[in-house]
Amino acid sequence: MMRGRRAERSGRGDRRGRTPAVLAAAGMTLGLGAVLLWPASRSTPRESESDLPAPAESALQVPTPVELERDPHASLWSTVRRNSTARSAPDDGAPPVARVETRTPEGTSNILLILDRRRDANGRLWVRARLPVLPNGTTGWLRRTAIAGYRLVRTRLVVDLRKLRATLLSNGREVFRAEVGVGLPQWPTPRGRFYIRNKLVRYSSPFYGPLAFGTSARSSVLTDWPDGGFVGIHGTNRPDLIPGRVSHGCIRMRNADIVRLGRLMPVGTPLEIS
Amino acid sequence: MTRVDHLSFERLDVDGALAESAERAWGMSRGTFLAAAAGGSAAVIGLTARDAAAQGGKLGARDVAILNYALVLEYLQSSFYTEAERLKALRGDAAEAARVVGSVERAHVKAFRDVLGSKATKRPSFDFQGTTEGQEPFLKTAVAFEDLAVAAYKGQATRLKAQSALTAAVSIHSVEARHAAWMRYLVGANPARTAFDQPKSKSEINRIVRSTNFITSRASTQRKKAPRFTG
Repeated sequence: MMRGRRAERSGRGDRRGRTPAVLAAAGMTLGLGAVLLWPASRSTPRESESDLPAPAESALQVPTPVELERDPHASLWSTVRRNSTARSAPDDGAPPVARVETRTPEGTSNILLILDRRRDANGRLWVRARLPVLPNGTTGWLRRTAIAGYRLVRTRLVVDLRKLRATLLSNGREVFRAEVGVGLPQWPTPRGRFYIRNKLVRYSSPFYGPLAFGTSARSSVLTDWPDGGFVGIHGTNRPDLIPGRVSHGCIRMRNADIVRLGRLMPVGTPLEIS
Repeated sequence: MTRVDHLSFERLDVDGALAESAERAWGMSRGTFLAAAAGGSAAVIGLTARDAAAQGGKLGARDVAILNYALVLEYLQSSFYTEAERLKALRGDAAEAARVVGSVERAHVKAFRDVLGSKATKRPSFDFQGTTEGQEPFLKTAVAFEDLAVAAYKGQATRLKAQSALTAAVSIHSVEARHAAWMRYLVGANPARTAFDQPKSKSEINRIVRSTNFITSRASTQRKKAPRFTG
């Protein structure tokens, strides 16, 4: 023990005694190193660069990441992936509201406007959708697995039945306005919230003009109309009747207007008729 | 820590729609597409094309096809995070990760689109099948996405000829690796379990490509047909 402690003390004493010498040696080494390196770093920059070259220029210019902005005008829609039953609540046991099919009478994908999402007691995801059924304004809950991916639109079409005017908003700003013809009193254009379901083009029917949008709105009077009496937005061969209350419920526009609307309004756009 | 090291697209109920999407989008045969995919780093391939363009050369059809495949992968990632953020179904750290990583992936998409210009393929339709709408499925899918991206970059970096391309690839690769580590941390998995990551072989890349069905066909919403509306 004693030897150990002595040795320890001795060691400490030695270290104390050596410190100046160690520092001196270290200083000399550093000084020598500086002398050796200094000329190289000053006089031969090319050699230094070839040893450790600067990073190569990047070929891809990745921009600064930008966060999502608030999106108050966005609406979601989706297509029906399999024929399903919409229910009054997000529950397999809830009363059925309507049957939804994958295709429309026009042969296009059947789309639904998505209003809400919720999980049931078993953790299964459901979506509430606006449905293209009577009575107008019906909504129902479908299992998430019944629909495909979400699509987004930032447009909204507002049809004013009193002013006989259609206005398209994009991101909340008016981008289109046109006079319209709407339903006669006996075949009124339905009021309420709907959406644009499809777009029909390149057909030969002067009565409907060059282009027609299908909507989720249905005539509550002409229920036996072929294909279910859906209300369309389309052109006309009687522009002289616009604006006016002239149709069976459809919303008619002058052909130039419907063509312009066709360029501006995507399918899935919410439609408000008031 | 939870073991999710083997989490991959095999877990995501997939059927190879990505390759089919490529066929539809670019008219490539499946064989050509998969061969391209085997070379398939999103960024790395794009960088080569950029170099070619910078040198005044025109991109060959195969280069453009590969580049567009890379862009599809970037679309896939950016759309996933963006949808998750928009739907507001996430909470806490996962929501923060979706917000930050989404902004970065969108920047990658923009970079690729800038490189491709008019040749850039359109954004495909995606169906994330609810994985953007819940904390657990989101995180598991995010781990798989980031691992895929890291593997894709790593797999091809050494094949690059241009230094500038390699520089960019490495710079993006490290970003994707940080994303992967972040997502693994969030699911409680070890983000650095191994000393070396192995690059994916051609067959592995093909299997991953085949294994996703998040890319879907576009909705058919327009038709050449006379209306039968009420008129």
